[in-house]
Amino acid sequence: MPSGLSIQDFVIFSPVILLTIWGLLSLIFDLTLLAGQDPTTRNRALGMWTLAGLVGSLVLSQFLSYKFMGPSAGTDPQIFFGSLNGGVLFIQFTSLVILFAVLITCLSMVWNFTSHWGEYYAMLIWSSVSMILLIAAEDLLTLFLALETMTICLYLMTAMEKSKQRSAEAGLKYFVYGSVSSALFLFGISLVYGMTGTLSIAEIGHILSSTEKPGLTGNVVGGVAVLMILVGFGFKVSAVPFHQWAPDVYEGAPTPVSAWLASGSKLASLVAMVKVMGGGLGSWASTNSPTSPGWVGLLALISAATMTYGNFAALGQTNLKRLLAYSSIAHAGYMLVGVIAVGLSTEPEEAAAALFFYLVVYGLTTIAGFALAAWIDRDRGTEEVEDLNGLARRHPYIGVAVCILMLSMIGIPPTAGFFGKLYMFMEALNVGGTDKVTMVGLVALGLFNSVVSAFYYIRILKAMFFRESDRADLKPMGPEIALPLGLGAVLTLFFGFNSSILLSDMESVSRSGLHFTQRSVNPDGYNVPAPGVVKPAALKEVAKPAPVTKPAPAAKSSATTTKPATPAKPATGVPAAAPKS
Amino acid sequence: MTQQIPLTWFLYFASASFAIGLMGVLMRRNAIGVLMAIEIMLNAANVNFVAFWRYGTAPAGEGPLTGVMMALFVVTIAAAEVAVGVGLILLCYRRWRSADVEEFDGLSG
Repeated sequence: MPSGLSIQDFVIFSPVILLTIWGLLSLIFDLTLLAGQDPTTRNRALGMWTLAGLVGSLVLSQFLSYKFMGPSAGTDPQIFFGSLNGGVLFIQFTSLVILFAVLITCLSMVWNFTSHWGEYYAMLIWSSVSMILLIAAEDLLTLFLALETMTICLYLMTAMEKSKQRSAEAGLKYFVYGSVSSALFLFGISLVYGMTGTLSIAEIGHILSSTEKPGLTGNVVGGVAVLMILVGFGFKVSAVPFHQWAPDVYEGAPTPVSAWLASGSKLASLVAMVKVMGGGLGSWASTNSPTSPGWVGLLALISAATMTYGNFAALGQTNLKRLLAYSSIAHAGYMLVGVIAVGLSTEPEEAAAALFFYLVVYGLTTIAGFALAAWIDRDRGTEEVEDLNGLARRHPYIGVAVCILMLSMIGIPPTAGFFGKLYMFMEALNVGGTDKVTMVGLVALGLFNSVVSAFYYIRILKAMFFRESDRADLKPMGPEIALPLGLGAVLTLFFGFNSSILLSDMESVSRSGLHFTQRSVNPDGYNVPAPGVVKPAALKEVAKPAPVTKPAPAAKSSATTTKPATPAKPATGVPAAAPKS
Repeated sequence: MTQQIPLTWFLYFASASFAIGLMGVLMRRNAIGVLMAIEIMLNAANVNFVAFWRYGTAPAGEGPLTGVMMALFVVTIAAAEVAVGVGLILLCYRRWRSADVEEFDGLSG
């Protein structure tokens, strides 16, 4: 942990500080300079103001990365007493979140769904700030604060569509589900704190991996903590038993906000999940014994249910936003396969890079999909799939763009969506040992589900290309919708043909910013507990969080149990530590 | 000094109030009641944090007040959440003239 606070911390952090102030100023301008103006003028002015702030912050963060992070920045820089990552991960994901926020701001300027523009744009800016913090968080306190700030902003944004009753309902539903999941997550964190005595993710990973690995059976506290943290993250990424809010909220929220929920919020939550599950609780991922499994088995079940349910439920949808919501649930299922691969892989950084690749591509395509929904929403006030009838004949370029996007969502070769799935599933298949069977099963299920998903994505294309419509044509898109849609399509193709650019970028991100606990050097990919290790004592101690159990016994038990018996332990320390420094 | 209350008592208390909160969220029909139940859940976690902080020793390199800091921050978050929650309930009340969560069922499918 770095000691002291230097001025450089603030310099590296300045894009985020700038954004925070920018949000405050947008509130102030709305109340002073723009008071009494009509909503359209205020929307334009504040939208432009937000865009200026976001682009300024993007430029600033790129400049800082150029200035402070040369090619030598392979180290693990932390800022603000080790509570935030201040390295490549921070800078790159800051840029990415800001890019998403720019696209959402464009979509927000399309039509007047609310009259509270000052608040809306302030919330948009602050939610992107908290997504950045959530991604950069290095301890659970910061992580929880950022998570809550993000979701509180999103609850309000969801309920902002004034003309529709469903928006208020969606906001309240999102609020109830979201805060219950946060409370569960917090309780899980408190148990982890009780077992380790610290909130720093790296430190938790260190303490947990230095004890024996008894798995989670019999470890009541550990099991409950993992379960609660999984439930918390499951809600945020809308994984299946906890997904009920997602279709309602995505349908009820104003379309730009749905796009923001599906892209930014999911991106930030998944990166945080990789950090916590892969980094902090990584040593509980799996053990070699079938009677005492880790969280991988549970997450595998969730992942399988998520992708299957998401795809099959999407088949029957007629509302485009609801269809995209179920599609986003299905994609969350694929991405959880990536999280499992991170938990099991001997090279977790590469598995995480593949997952991040998928996340970036998914974020771009899903924003573009919601841009399409925003287009029909603006002119017709509904967003049914049949509203798309005949659009491609009248607007051939848009037809081509949507075609590329849908192919990418299915995962068909020339597009980036294919490579995202390919890299992620390859990482999943690289896992060895007893969990190989699980991973092969998950990948097979994922491929089967991709085929199922083709049916409903093709339905969108069929409506656009082959159906006739006798309704009046939509007005031209205008740059606000064309930019997210076009950029999504272009980048999907670009990263499809040059997937190595994005992949190597994501690899540098995950190598610099994620600290996974040491993995064993066994070809199996596990820390195999050596025979004869006296486990029960350590297990019992960890199981009961009596005052004695916390840090001291953890260190003690590792000292007594690992030294004589496991040759894997001392060996792991060296190779795992080497790539980090 | 008299004997200290053992840590487990605090943990039992926290788990019980967490369970009460969770049951409240699941069974209450009034939105305000749900909101109160959520607060109970957050505070149960707070009890855990403070109890673990009081009875444990921090590992090397860890600040001395971690658990308490966390609890303080959670209190702030809970306050923000209540503010937003009451706002959303009011918004729904204006449209449905009711604060009953089971009536808000316009979206489904």
